[in-house]
Amino acid sequence: MVDASWIGLVPLLPALSAGWIGIALLGGWQQGERGERVTARVALWGVGLALGLLLLLDLDALLLARTPGSIALFPWMDTVGYRVMVSFILDPLGLALSTLAALLCWLTVRFAVCYLHREAAFQRFFASLSLFASGLLLFLLAGNAVLAFVGWELMGLTSYLLIGYANERSQATGNATRVLLTNRIGDAGFLAGILFSYVWLGGGEWGDIAGGFALLSSLQLGILAGGFVLAALVKSAQFPFAAWVGRALEGPTPSSAAFYGALMIHAGVFLLLRLQDLIAQSPFLMVVLCLLGLLTVLYGLLVGLVQTDVKSGLIAAGQTQVGWMFLACGLGWFDWAAWHLAAHAGWRLYQVLNAPSYMHLLPGPTRPVWVALHRRQGLYAAAIARFWLDPLTDVLITRPTQNLARDLQSLDDNLVNRLLGNGAMERILFGQLHASRPTEKPGHRQVQGVGLFGALLEALANRLQWLEQLVLRMGGEGSVRSVAQLGDYLLRIDRLFSEPRYLVLMILITFVVAL
Amino acid sequence: MAVLSVPLASLPLLSLLIGLPLVGAVLLGLLPARQARSFALGVGLVEAVLACGVVWGINPEQAGFQWLEQGRWIPTLHLQYLLGVDGLSALFLPLSALLFVGLVLASTGVQRLPRLYFALLLALEGITIGIFSALDLLLFFLFWELTLIPLYFLVSLWGIGPQRRFAATQYTLWMLGGGVLLLFGFLLVATGHGDWPAATDGFRAPAALLFDLPTLLATPLPPERQWPVFLLLLMGFAVKTPVVPLHIWLPTVAMEGPVVVVAMMTGLKLGAYGLIRFALPLAPQVAQEWYGVLVGLGVVGIFYGGLLALVQSNLRRLLAFASISHVGFVLLGLSTFTVQGVQGALLQLLNFTLIASGLFLLAGFIRQRTDSTELVHLGGLVHSMPKASRFFLFFGLAGMGMPLTAGFPAEQLILLGSLSAYKGAALAAIGGQILGAGYFFHYYRRAFLGPARHRLVVQAVDLLPREWAIMVLLAIPVLVVGIYPGWILHFTQLPVVRWVAQFPGVAP
Repeated sequence: MVDASWIGLVPLLPALSAGWIGIALLGGWQQGERGERVTARVALWGVGLALGLLLLLDLDALLLARTPGSIALFPWMDTVGYRVMVSFILDPLGLALSTLAALLCWLTVRFAVCYLHREAAFQRFFASLSLFASGLLLFLLAGNAVLAFVGWELMGLTSYLLIGYANERSQATGNATRVLLTNRIGDAGFLAGILFSYVWLGGGEWGDIAGGFALLSSLQLGILAGGFVLAALVKSAQFPFAAWVGRALEGPTPSSAAFYGALMIHAGVFLLLRLQDLIAQSPFLMVVLCLLGLLTVLYGLLVGLVQTDVKSGLIAAGQTQVGWMFLACGLGWFDWAAWHLAAHAGWRLYQVLNAPSYMHLLPGPTRPVWVALHRRQGLYAAAIARFWLDPLTDVLITRPTQNLARDLQSLDDNLVNRLLGNGAMERILFGQLHASRPTEKPGHRQVQGVGLFGALLEALANRLQWLEQLVLRMGGEGSVRSVAQLGDYLLRIDRLFSEPRYLVLMILITFVVAL
Repeated sequence: MAVLSVPLASLPLLSLLIGLPLVGAVLLGLLPARQARSFALGVGLVEAVLACGVVWGINPEQAGFQWLEQGRWIPTLHLQYLLGVDGLSALFLPLSALLFVGLVLASTGVQRLPRLYFALLLALEGITIGIFSALDLLLFFLFWELTLIPLYFLVSLWGIGPQRRFAATQYTLWMLGGGVLLLFGFLLVATGHGDWPAATDGFRAPAALLFDLPTLLATPLPPERQWPVFLLLLMGFAVKTPVVPLHIWLPTVAMEGPVVVVAMMTGLKLGAYGLIRFALPLAPQVAQEWYGVLVGLGVVGIFYGGLLALVQSNLRRLLAFASISHVGFVLLGLSTFTVQGVQGALLQLLNFTLIASGLFLLAGFIRQRTDSTELVHLGGLVHSMPKASRFFLFFGLAGMGMPLTAGFPAEQLILLGSLSAYKGAALAAIGGQILGAGYFFHYYRRAFLGPARHRLVVQAVDLLPREWAIMVLLAIPVLVVGIYPGWILHFTQLPVVRWVAQFPGVAP
């Protein structure tokens, strides 16, 4: 009924609407309230058409009682040892979850049309949200790791843009930067996973990677799968990378709901589901997944209980659920995790989208914090501080890096530049040399060396001068005069050739040294 | 001086490309000062079209150099006027021409000696094209050293810093120092063939001096004579690239020089081109045995540049250090001697030309409006200059290898090549990527986002149409290659395969 190669349009359509909104914004012909209607329509149609296409494909699959499977359209990058196809996997997992994702994206966009009415950056928001939908669908449907990584990075970028949506608030932009940099750790893991699969397995198709365990030693398997697991842990905000999601709620509510409530937070789980055959071969990673999932469950539970605003509470609860999914994956119950994912995504989106209206919806005051937690002051403080994960990162990673950079800076300034003749002193000396004409005062230093190299040369030149004066003193008056004339002559040529005397001197010295 | 004996079958397009801007530079003297810029722009546009013609005429399947032009220069010394390009160098021509169009467009408000300024800029363009197309070692060296004359005067006369003359002098001295090493390296190569009778591939090396690159590549030096050549050439090119610790001139020039010229200096990484074209293939065995030096320089560069960029408060200095970090990636790619690594390095060089110049020009535009690129004077630029901020973000993302920009395939290939050769270095480079995001976003946040506090920032005018056009001009190739990398990968694949095949041993 529907040719499965149309699937390429699914991620493309929201990207096109994002591109159109972005260009219209740059060109300045869709601004303010007047542009809202068109912008909203473009965004809705982009995601809506993608959803429609997916539904058609679903129907097709249902009627035929089989999914189209893998589809390779054309090569995207093709060179020796590195071939990336534009390929998609339309298996039950990908097709079902991408339909769900498209539906939830569409609902979010529809909700946001009213929610963001008369916002100054209406267009910017919808461009980012459409791009996110495109990235997410690409990630879910991609047939190979590289294409999935493209979607993954698009999600990361749009997440950054939307957390920093209120770009005049320093707190929002600071949090956006921090979230992005934390996510870069996961990206590095993903990248390492992709590259190792090209080096060891010769390709990046999901099928090759997931089924490639037979070709790998157990260490290689651990490294390859470990990269992807690291990426999943970071993106799904699992322990010990759990803290970033608390900072990510600066954006408008619909974006928070889509990113951290319903969709992007599950990207890590989906990655594990995609690679379940591979990960299941590494008992060590399974244990790690169980442990970290369990820790995240505890973390989300305790942190969620002490939150005083509804969005943070809901997101922490979501983290707990994702922790359960990681635990399930660690135990090998991948199907269970997939069902949990689907159910949780829909429910949490509804909850978070509703969050701003809870004041009106709730009949009475909210419940106080759980008594058992209240009694344990230490635990309470820890939960409020999100178990000090952020300060810990600062102490362990951020600050040492900055200090190292500062040390390097002083090394560069005080040692490397000084040795190579680029210190502050030398610049001032150079300025003086420029200002004053060469003087004939006796005892004046003829050569002024700069840097280590220069100092050596200076010593050499002074020695030579001493030698020369010795020769001059030995010789008679006449020779001195002729030499002096020669010197004058040379000096004139020298002046003729160059305005900055220093330049020629140094050039000559350089040549001499090189010879 | 040159007696051309051009084969009639083809147009001497390369000579035309070199000659046109040089003649244009002379003609500029006859024009009124007001028209200097438009004239330079016209010459630049013609140059860009011709340069595209060169790429159009190249058949990437064909081995060896194309668009060859051969003429006698100094026959007693066996010096020839030998020009030619292949798939490795051809793409640099339209890119340089495009860049110079952007630079001329960006040079407004040149009050002091505008004719001389544009004449020097045009001369620099011609000489740069000469560097990319010269195949005779000494002809290359001539062009290489000739760049210093326009650069010296451009930096010292139109620089924006108070110590511009120091910066110009220092730059010139450093480059001359590097040039001496290069000259000696080339002379060693040329004389080394005297008693080397091998006639591989039908080539017979003449018993005297030999400067002609295609012949030299076909008859490599005996391994025991390669190491001084490699060392001299490596050091000579490393100064220009620049490689840590020979980088100190770059931050100085970045602060003192005119932004437009520095954009070109950080953008066009001539030193890295020299490594690809001359240093490594002329000493193939030693280059490969000493891969550790290249890997080390690459990794150190990535981190040294990245860490220092992290603590810079001035955008121009930051970009200088970022450029050092970028060069580290290119070196790492080259050091692998694998097709992927080298192809990635080549793409990254082309990519960084656009990105680094784009970012530097943006720094210039910001400086024109706020009188500073120092962090304390900025903050909140996104409110008054949204277009500039978006381009800045775009180029920054392309620099850190964001998918759908040209940085992505380049970075993937470099990392893939290095991962198959040296795991540790590759993993370090992946870590360096996090650092790259760190310094860029850290600065972006403080300078562009947040509340606008300073009057000059609040009043700043967004990009004018002319400036916008420059940015689009530079951004389009980055985006097109990022979305559809197929063509450029195909174009560079066979030349790179042949380049790698020059190295005898299997990469360790």
